Amino acid sequence: MTAAAAAGPAEVLATVGLTARYGSIEALAPTDMHVEDGELVAVLGPNGAGKSTLLRALMGLVTNGGTVRFRGRPLPRRDPVAVAASGVVLVPEGRGIFGPMTVAENLELGAYRLGRDKAEFERRWTRVFDLFPRLKERLGQVAGSMSGGEQQMLAIGRALMADPKVLLLDEPSLGLAPRVTAEILETLHRLNQGGLPVILVEQKAPLALKLAKRAYLLSVGRIVATIDPREITSYDDIAKHYFA
Amino acid sequence: MGSLSYLPQILVSGLGIGCVYGLIGIGFCVIYNASGIVNFAQGAFVMLGGMVTFVLMQRAGLPLPVAAVIAIAGVAGLGVVVERLVVRPLWNRNATMFVMILATLAAQIVVERSTLLLVGDQPKTLPMFTDRPPLMLAGVAISYQLLWIVGCSLAVVGLLALFFRTTRTGKAMRAVAIDREAAALQGIPVSRMLALAFALSAALGAIGGILITPTQFTAFDIGVPFAISGFIAAIVGGFGRPFGAFLGGLTLGVIQSIAIVSFGAGLKNVAALSVLLVFLFIRPSGILGPAK
Repeated sequence: MTAAAAAGPAEVLATVGLTARYGSIEALAPTDMHVEDGELVAVLGPNGAGKSTLLRALMGLVTNGGTVRFRGRPLPRRDPVAVAASGVVLVPEGRGIFGPMTVAENLELGAYRLGRDKAEFERRWTRVFDLFPRLKERLGQVAGSMSGGEQQMLAIGRALMADPKVLLLDEPSLGLAPRVTAEILETLHRLNQGGLPVILVEQKAPLALKLAKRAYLLSVGRIVATIDPREITSYDDIAKHYFA
Repeated sequence: MGSLSYLPQILVSGLGIGCVYGLIGIGFCVIYNASGIVNFAQGAFVMLGGMVTFVLMQRAGLPLPVAAVIAIAGVAGLGVVVERLVVRPLWNRNATMFVMILATLAAQIVVERSTLLLVGDQPKTLPMFTDRPPLMLAGVAISYQLLWIVGCSLAVVGLLALFFRTTRTGKAMRAVAIDREAAALQGIPVSRMLALAFALSAALGAIGGILITPTQFTAFDIGVPFAISGFIAAIVGGFGRPFGAFLGGLTLGVIQSIAIVSFGAGLKNVAALSVLLVFLFIRPSGILGPAK
């Protein structure tokens, strides 16, 4: 055990002065944030605040600057494949499932990096169905023909097939019925309780704050506040930023 | 106006050339799906398939099957070289489709002219794979080479289907075709898949080139007409749908041979381009509809 781990929860993933730009427009001001072992961190903010951009910059999907540190080592800056292979896995906005392929194929592709380790594949495969029993009934179904909630479950299941060391989610509740959202967030809670660090980007702040240990509030491309959910008595402070 | 009384015969020979168009068309689709690029160097691979096989047999004295296998592997390797040297640098700079098409056309010309310098401008041919008189079936002459063409093409298409459906790499290539970014986020090496697409597509072109050469000839400049026919096959089938492209190739081959008999060989390309226009006007999404 390292000294840091002995002293307390260790930093798993951190951004140091991470920026993002689209052409000549700066979409994300230098941003410092981090997630520690076993933590669920929420990133909140109104539409267009730069929440997705933060995740995309972190993964190296957009032109970015600064550093992303993963377990103390810098991650490659413009190489999403390498970032994903290192265990930082993003469930993107809009889910990004392979619509014309079957549920089984989608899940198999999640474990693309695993290679031919049958036993490990089985372990991940069972874990996914343990969390999302509904996917098991749909294995042969074309993924794009499922409901939005099921597609979101598949997207998360596929990410879990990669055995992520940190799981990033971009608005998993988008376009879903409240009941389905609750079900998915409950699963995320379970995963997090199992020790998986999670960064959850959400527009629906109250939902995310129920699960989060810490929350960053983003507005116009920068972090404007770090929130401890336990200290929140009213949502007025947050609302202020939303309507700023 | 020629006679159409040989219709079965015309259909048979149309299917032969159609298979080759189909293979070339699949090549277009495989690269297009992996990258959104239309690779007009495709014709060079077709020409090189026949040409390299010829040179290996003539100058190195290799038997046909060995020469053919080496040629296919070599052309596949050249496909990767084209991808690394021509396509990749442009892709990394987010070049437009127009630039990409020009660049692949330039690659086509480089290969074509190098071949001219190396082996001269004389047409070459390959021996028939099975040198026997054609089979007669109900008054229709079926050459053994035609059986080879159809048999090999179907085998290749079948293997390709199996590859895309059952193998990890094949599925990953499909995933890249569906959503490149989502595939990258799963750790699928997207750029390696692009190189692989070029290798696959070059090999398909080479196979087509080797199969068809014994029935006609090969020369440094046969690539472009084949590329155009293959491109039309891909459009007729529904661009980006490999098996549609194969159907498109068969359709084109048959229509072309009917046109040759009816109006003369000079109108072969007119027929092909007319098919293209008809499809673009009436059913631009192709036989099977659009890919995505």
